[in-house]
Amino acid sequence: MNKKQVTHLLLLLLFSAFLSTGCAHKSVKSLPETSDDSPITQARETIPDKAEQTPSSPDVEDSIEDDFFDEEFEAQQVLVADPLSSWNKGMFHFNDKLYFWVLKPLARGYMEITPDYFRRGVKNFFYNLTMPMRFVNCLLQGKGNAAASEFSRFVVNTTAGGLGFGNPADQNPDLVVSTGEDLGQTFGKYGIGNGFYIVWPMLGPSTLRDSVGLVGDFFLNPLSYVEYSETWVAVKSLDLVNQTSFHIGEYEALKNSALDPYVALRNSYLQYREKKIKE
Amino acid sequence: MKRLLYAVLILFITAQTGFTDDKDSAKKILASKLDAAIAVLQKKNMDQKEKDRRIIEIVTPIFDFPFMAKLSLGRKNWPGLSKEKKEKFTDLFIKRLEASYLEKLALYTDEALVYKTPVQSGRKVEIPTEVISKDKIISMTYKLYKSKRNWKIYDMEIEGISIIVTYRSQFDQILEKGTFEDLLLKLETPENK
Repeated sequence: MNKKQVTHLLLLLLFSAFLSTGCAHKSVKSLPETSDDSPITQARETIPDKAEQTPSSPDVEDSIEDDFFDEEFEAQQVLVADPLSSWNKGMFHFNDKLYFWVLKPLARGYMEITPDYFRRGVKNFFYNLTMPMRFVNCLLQGKGNAAASEFSRFVVNTTAGGLGFGNPADQNPDLVVSTGEDLGQTFGKYGIGNGFYIVWPMLGPSTLRDSVGLVGDFFLNPLSYVEYSETWVAVKSLDLVNQTSFHIGEYEALKNSALDPYVALRNSYLQYREKKIKE
Repeated sequence: MKRLLYAVLILFITAQTGFTDDKDSAKKILASKLDAAIAVLQKKNMDQKEKDRRIIEIVTPIFDFPFMAKLSLGRKNWPGLSKEKKEKFTDLFIKRLEASYLEKLALYTDEALVYKTPVQSGRKVEIPTEVISKDKIISMTYKLYKSKRNWKIYDMEIEGISIIVTYRSQFDQILEKGTFEDLLLKLETPENK
């Protein structure tokens, strides 16, 4: 064994020692968090809680720190006032029927007659067109890098991508796809609350804050400046049907798993927006 | 020299496995089950009923369904219930959850599943996954906790929407106006289809 091999061996050993201490360190780090609850844990473990037992599931007893879990979910629950609930419920049913009777059959038929690459192209085109909205909101949220990436993607896709139908920017790992900022999220970042819940015909669930955001975003959408005409309606419809064709089944899944679809959708919307704001 | 290399390799491997993180073992368990479930889902010559049965068989050991039932009612509504009601609710809720999980899994059949870096906080681990297709990326986060024996799923988030939180909001709403019997009835008879 020459000197070089010995040093290699030593290095390897050192490295594995480092790895193991690294791991050990991590588990030590996580200990204080658990030991915070450990007095409670122990107390709960020693007192068998008869009422809480479900015979079908021995595991329910294993999960002792219920409060520990409850707090997590209570913190995650987004509550919002719903003073317009009768209007909202009406609009919910309207949108529901609109989806099942009109949009879904249209999107299905549209899928039959158009190849996948066409639908993807249309999707890319409309997405590319709304760059100003995402760009401005990235800036408003202080996300300089994301804004730069948005802008570069727009330039690449509009030129090399042929007016945005193609998506060559995706080939470049430096041009990260942004998380899709809008004005409602910007307001949320600034600490503005939801206000109240409102359901719009066609547009679906929203809140006061997000509706104001929608108005602002409207002015950042180039399509809003196209004169209202039959062409405009056709273009908008294409966008809507094309988008729907990518999401068939999602609303159905939500509805089927729900006991009260109106409440489920309201809650899902609020959770979804909360997550987007945090991103 | 060769022998030495082997020795080093073995040392290296044992040193690593000896100290595997909690979150890595959680991730391994989840990945083994999910991959098996997706393999079943992608089988071409098997009818849907048989697929569903097998998938539930595969994933049931990592889902703590009874605990999820309890969590979805929460400390506000669960403790006051009689033993019979708890059992009935748990049974019905599990059926609902299974059906809903199958539907959501089937929505994203022939797409790639990517596991991202898990995040651990105490006895909980969140394992973010991404279902990637040509058209879209859907984020699904599995939330596990360490029970006495193993890692178990207690909640799932799809695009940031937690299953438990969504059910909680509905149960709260139903119980605010109605009784627990109303809730059981709604759970038993799906409103749609």
